[in-house]
Amino acid sequence: MSVLEGGVLQLFPGVNASDLVTLVWIGFFALTFLYQTRIQSYLALSEISRGLNKLKVMKDKARKDTIDYLVNVGKATNDPSPRVDQFLDYVAIMPVDMDPAGIVGKIDHIVTTNNDRVRAEVGALLNQNNPVTVSISENLLEVATSLNQIHKIVRHYYLLGKKTNSYFTLVQLQMLMPMIIQEADALLNAVDSFKLGQPVGDGIGPIVVSRFMAGKEKRVIAKDTVMAITEYKGRKLYVLKADGPMAYVGQPGVAIQKIVGEMGVKPSAIVMIDAALKLEGEKTGEIAEGVGAAIGGIGVEKFQIEEAATRVKVPLYAILVKQSILEAITVMRKEIAEAADKVTQVLNRVIEEKTKEGDEIVVAGIGNTLGVAQ
Amino acid sequence: MMSSVPGSDKKSKLLVYTIEECPVCGQKTKRAFAVGDYVTKEAAKCSKCGNPTRIGLVYAESMKPSR
Ligand SMILES: [Zn+2]
Repeated sequence: MSVLEGGVLQLFPGVNASDLVTLVWIGFFALTFLYQTRIQSYLALSEISRGLNKLKVMKDKARKDTIDYLVNVGKATNDPSPRVDQFLDYVAIMPVDMDPAGIVGKIDHIVTTNNDRVRAEVGALLNQNNPVTVSISENLLEVATSLNQIHKIVRHYYLLGKKTNSYFTLVQLQMLMPMIIQEADALLNAVDSFKLGQPVGDGIGPIVVSRFMAGKEKRVIAKDTVMAITEYKGRKLYVLKADGPMAYVGQPGVAIQKIVGEMGVKPSAIVMIDAALKLEGEKTGEIAEGVGAAIGGIGVEKFQIEEAATRVKVPLYAILVKQSILEAITVMRKEIAEAADKVTQVLNRVIEEKTKEGDEIVVAGIGNTLGVAQ
Repeated sequence: MMSSVPGSDKKSKLLVYTIEECPVCGQKTKRAFAVGDYVTKEAAKCSKCGNPTRIGLVYAESMKPSR
């Protein structure tokens, strides 16, 4: 202080040290006030960039794991990396929806084309044709593609926000980042379960119906989808699931259309068993009942099932097993597996309550049937 | 505004088990999962009655000591 008082402050008579401190404070507040969005943008940028790095590590790991699987388990003869990289950027262009009549058929067509292409290309890449290995490779590629997409989109908004100095773009992205990382983390974890061929949480529906199909004659009713006819308390059950233990989801929509259409079955109920996303706070493995088509995905199968059920005026019943997105795509947790017995009881009760002896019933186990045969 | 990006949160390690069920006497045996296991696959002979068992469930449990 003595230096100041003897030096600079002498130039401004009447100004003392405490005034100066006050001035500095006011200056500080003024700056913070004027530049707060700048400061926030800066913080957001550094946080997003950290998240972006994490996403990059994740997508690189998924890519590497996929390539390793193709080489080690799939016995790919040539280095599959260039092909995998092409794969990660492959796009399926959705049909125009300005004239939405008949759009489901168009989407179905594109999705089917894409799925067929994936299987054909994976088949060509591998030096073996074990259907389990091929299906796992398909799923791994899909996961790697999703992670690649997530990283690309986040990077796009990060760079855009940075370039245009757009505070709101950056802050919105910053707020979404934890959820994005969580989803990416779930995808990355799925890679481990898929590689080992372990059933995933989504496979709870297939597990339940596989118990009805055991020892019965199975027939392929749609692509990757099998059906068996069995009996329960005087009712005839048409039980269907995707063909396991491959990592298939099958075409339950086509299968149900075929049962009530071509096969001329007049069911008095269609019961669907599926995994459902739980809300935060709900318990994993909790069972919920309802009406309607219990099936996720892009909506094609759901449409086909609703359409078939409406056409023949059959009630649709749903039995759902709650789980998080992480639990649905990674190895099945004990709580979910143990719900299988309870689901079977609920299914039996639904059948007994809603139908009578001599009735025909369709039971569909919806979900990825990896590690679940029939 | 000050949200933070969580790391891949410290998950407790998961151990995966295969449950073999005897269709005759209902005996259940729990063992570690082996690659190639799948639900409904025929498994080892039942330790109680000698009939072939089937894999009934495959599931993961966290290694955390019980609450
Ligand atoms: Zn036994």
